[in-house]
Amino acid sequence: MSDTLHTLLTRRKPGYTLEAPFHTDPAIFQADLDIIFGRHWIYVGVEPDVPDEGDCMTVDIGQHAIIVARDDDMQLHAFHNVCRHRGARLLHTPHANVGNIVCPYHQWTYGLDGNLKFAAHMPENFDKACHGLKRVHIRSLAGLLFVCLAETPPNDFDAMAETLTPYIAPHDIPNCKVAHEEDIIEHGNWKLTMENNRECYHCSAAHPELTRSIFAEGFGFAPVGAEAEAQAGRFHAMVDTLHAECARHGMVSQEIDHLDDRITGFRTERLPLEDAGESETLDTRVACKRLLGNLHEKRLGALSLWTQPNSWHHFMSDHIVTFAVFPLSPETALLRTKWLVHKDAVEGEDYDRANLTAVWHATNRQDSDLVGKAGAGVRSSGYRQGPYAPDTELLVEKFSAWYIGRMAAGIGA
Amino acid sequence: MKSAPAEEAVYTVTYTVSGRAITCPGGTFVLDAALAAGLKLPFNCRQGLCGTCKSKLLSGQYDMHHQGGIRPKEIANGMFLPCCSKPLSDLVIEK
Repeated sequence: MSDTLHTLLTRRKPGYTLEAPFHTDPAIFQADLDIIFGRHWIYVGVEPDVPDEGDCMTVDIGQHAIIVARDDDMQLHAFHNVCRHRGARLLHTPHANVGNIVCPYHQWTYGLDGNLKFAAHMPENFDKACHGLKRVHIRSLAGLLFVCLAETPPNDFDAMAETLTPYIAPHDIPNCKVAHEEDIIEHGNWKLTMENNRECYHCSAAHPELTRSIFAEGFGFAPVGAEAEAQAGRFHAMVDTLHAECARHGMVSQEIDHLDDRITGFRTERLPLEDAGESETLDTRVACKRLLGNLHEKRLGALSLWTQPNSWHHFMSDHIVTFAVFPLSPETALLRTKWLVHKDAVEGEDYDRANLTAVWHATNRQDSDLVGKAGAGVRSSGYRQGPYAPDTELLVEKFSAWYIGRMAAGIGA
Repeated sequence: MKSAPAEEAVYTVTYTVSGRAITCPGGTFVLDAALAAGLKLPFNCRQGLCGTCKSKLLSGQYDMHHQGGIRPKEIANGMFLPCCSKPLSDLVIEK
């Protein structure tokens, strides 16, 4: 297989879609799990998923089952969700609050720091210290949680955190709560879900709700024709105005793009929104009366953040929408979406859940349908590599180039 | 939590599911008394770690010293760990 993968990686034509085996071949899927998801920083959730002492969250990254836990000193830990006794899965629900992590099989009992505290019937010379839970690296980026399964993670996380923290911190993720969460299984390889996210070529036709507030131009879309150019001119003037306004509030906004020149690739920019300019809602106004953190200005547009290989995020003044993609099989992927509001916001008083989630609930379904169509196409014998639009799909190319580069590095090509 | 258990007092512990009522001195762990009386109850660590013996207390007072085998929210909901609890009164346990 590695020869075939090596060949496919080496002959990849820049500016073109990936060949079919990247979206269908079980061996390449396993290589994706080993190299991309096994050796990079993977976005898994937010600090409000585990707000209190004893809170645990389980996440499956391919065949890797993970526990994210907060101990009684509020420190975050991550472990493999596998008992060191007979290998049983320890926690079975997405969220739990526990004093110790107790295996349901023979009650081996681990502290929230992963250390084995109790195992009955083991001989006197049994060393509990050698049977703690297998650790996974975990880092919080201003409240966004990333794990790395590799023994030695990529060393550029701190550089990313240093750059991005000033952008994200005003939205104060640690003092948010998850107001709503939804999982969608998309019928395409995880890379098709990511590629679909990385362009807004499809937005005007597919996303009537989303395009009420966002401008496709913020996502690489390049104008064609006089009308589109006039619209783009209006957009760029709005970007300049928004960035100047945000600077007055002490917030950074300008584009930073390291999507394909870092191991831990990322991009961010604060983008203006249409009309009221407040939020990604159907009426472009805030969906939650209680603004995030110490923000007082509603009209902050939307801070967009993209990370390789598996996330994107939109931060508004009143709420945050955050997306994680997890591979399930060669031709299916899980899209996990969370809507965050201030932890003190009260449903029914400060926000209406249906209004808060309307835009991205609809957009996710539309995207899922498109990913399914792409998945069906690329598995067909008639599929050939197609060209990305040079500007409009620039971020797709950056995703594919990053993926190819990291896979090549991973197999030593 | 509560005042120190009276070592000399002897209390009645009633188990509603098995229908058994046994005695438990104030200085004895509730689980130990039950096992000594021949009740078959789930347990494991006997030190308040694993939570295997977690039970619903229908009435009574106790003194518990656990090590993370039970959460404050569970205690608030009437659960306790018989392995590391001594009675301070007669107890009625749903087991």
